[in-house]
Amino acid sequence: MGWGTWIAFKQFQNRREEEPSSLAPVSILKPLKGVDEGLLENLESFFKLNYPSYEILFSVTENTEPAISVVQKLLSKYPSADAKLVCEPQNTGPNPKINNLMTAYELAKHDVILISDSNIRVKPNYLLNLVPDLRDSVGIITAVVAGVSAKGLGGWLEASYLNTFFARWMVLTKKLGFPSVIGKSMLFRKSILKRLGGLKTLGHYIAEDYMAGHGIQKLDLTVELMRSPIEQFIGPYSYQNFWARHLRWGRIRKSIAPLAFLIEPLFFSTFSGVAGAISLNVLFGFSPLTVWGLHMALWGICDGLIYQLMDRFSWKALGAWVVREGLAPLLWISILSGNTVSWRGRDYRLLKGGLLAEGRTT
Amino acid sequence: MYLADFHLHSNFSDGKLSIPALVDYYGKRGFGAIAITDHFCEQTSLIGRASTYLGVTLTTATFPIYRELLKSEQERAWDQYGMCLIPGVEITKNSILNHRSAHFLVLGNLENIDPNLDISELSDRVRPEGALVIAAHPVSTQKIEKQTFHLWDRREELAPKVDAWEVASGPYLFDEVRYSGLPMIANSDFHSEKNMTSWKTLLSCEKKQEAVLQAIKKQQLDFQFYREETVREPSYSTLPWIMGPQLGHYGMGNVDSLQAISK
Repeated sequence: MGWGTWIAFKQFQNRREEEPSSLAPVSILKPLKGVDEGLLENLESFFKLNYPSYEILFSVTENTEPAISVVQKLLSKYPSADAKLVCEPQNTGPNPKINNLMTAYELAKHDVILISDSNIRVKPNYLLNLVPDLRDSVGIITAVVAGVSAKGLGGWLEASYLNTFFARWMVLTKKLGFPSVIGKSMLFRKSILKRLGGLKTLGHYIAEDYMAGHGIQKLDLTVELMRSPIEQFIGPYSYQNFWARHLRWGRIRKSIAPLAFLIEPLFFSTFSGVAGAISLNVLFGFSPLTVWGLHMALWGICDGLIYQLMDRFSWKALGAWVVREGLAPLLWISILSGNTVSWRGRDYRLLKGGLLAEGRTT
Repeated sequence: MYLADFHLHSNFSDGKLSIPALVDYYGKRGFGAIAITDHFCEQTSLIGRASTYLGVTLTTATFPIYRELLKSEQERAWDQYGMCLIPGVEITKNSILNHRSAHFLVLGNLENIDPNLDISELSDRVRPEGALVIAAHPVSTQKIEKQTFHLWDRREELAPKVDAWEVASGPYLFDEVRYSGLPMIANSDFHSEKNMTSWKTLLSCEKKQEAVLQAIKKQQLDFQFYREETVREPSYSTLPWIMGPQLGHYGMGNVDSLQAISK
């Protein structure tokens, strides 16, 4: 726990010493679906990047997509920007995000591709900080996601998850040599992904990000984390949305790495606290309640420190942390009890290894 | 004439090197043809499922990426080394009983691979599409490891459905196969650099997939022993306090060190 916190601090203090030698042109791909609060500002942040050469390709699956009006507003506000809207979905497999992105991916002018979700908001130096780290030995650069601007119970729970458990998980798995890739921000070279069959090969998986990272490591290339977290604008988010999203993520994890999923409870503060309290009581006669209380306090301090690295820690964040830690075991049991997930209006059955089988429309 | 090795494992299953590293390793040594054949375990057995959980086998999830990477490395192997890379898998059916365990290689067309099928059914499915089926280490490998005798036990029934039987796997020749009259092939069963010293197949056909597969089928081949030069330098085991320093680190090989041994 303490080690994970220390690694997280080290990761985000890892500043680049040398000046970047070259800045390769970048094609930024933005898959869009629906209009969430903050979408305009999120997308606009990509028009304000301090970077010599980049294009932005927004992709949607339908002409009636409400996000189109937001994109059109930005295209008229920034007429000189190298940006366009693509509405030409392909059917490469059951993964709707890949189907949405395929045409934009094919149209991308540059070898360096950044796939970035619509709820990501970046600072002007984002690409300047990111691209120089894509060295020849690096296959893909992903990022730790900081949850910001949370509203509602679901939003705060989401922020608590991203800014504590998930942030530590990302840096720890990287340190242990099993890096995770998250689709919210993936920077890679098209020529590298082509060696694995290109983006279309990933269309059969629900966790296209995980498989991209897995495949790229098979080329003896590394998966790196960006030196600083990127911000996910959470906004208003219901408790139901939070639960459904984490049920989906959990079942995907279970499908890809069932053994790792089975030992996940050891990393829940409540469960490991209870296990530790019982063990120390049996072995040394310590008061279980005191041990559990100290354990939770220490865990809370470590999580608070990481949270502060990602976003400002507050009383609301503390409350959300308490609720989330209490919910974690219940969520885990719920994940264990099924193999279907709902995603963008469709139900999918998860097969072994993160493969998807089509389900019904909900 | 050129050397060939048709039984190599990458880190998609239990091999140490990645597919690009295997291509470079064999390409730099002047090999004319190789086949990468990672384990693809049947999922109906407990051992097969355990292998999946342990990540030492191809799975239905990783197989598409494996196939695509082989396709792209085929081009690079040819462009960079003039070497023919043949896509393959080792269908792996492991049981606690050696006589119920079978490993067989499928080389060439990997479109319709299902590791749960019996060799007879799979052979009927893939051979008409141009793939070759090879019985891997069908008799005792003379090593302390899992043995796979099932195919040898059924050799009379399977003879028409198997294109070749490994007469050598690594440094050992199998006399049972050698004098059986069955079509033969010699491979290293390469998992890491230490497996390089082994029997290899020698071909003289064009370095194209179809020509190579035909040469195996028609048995227009020979066998040679390839000895990798050993560079002795001290290395330490992960448990030095128990094991002490170890010697025997394998370094660059040399094709000049080939010793021809007749069939």
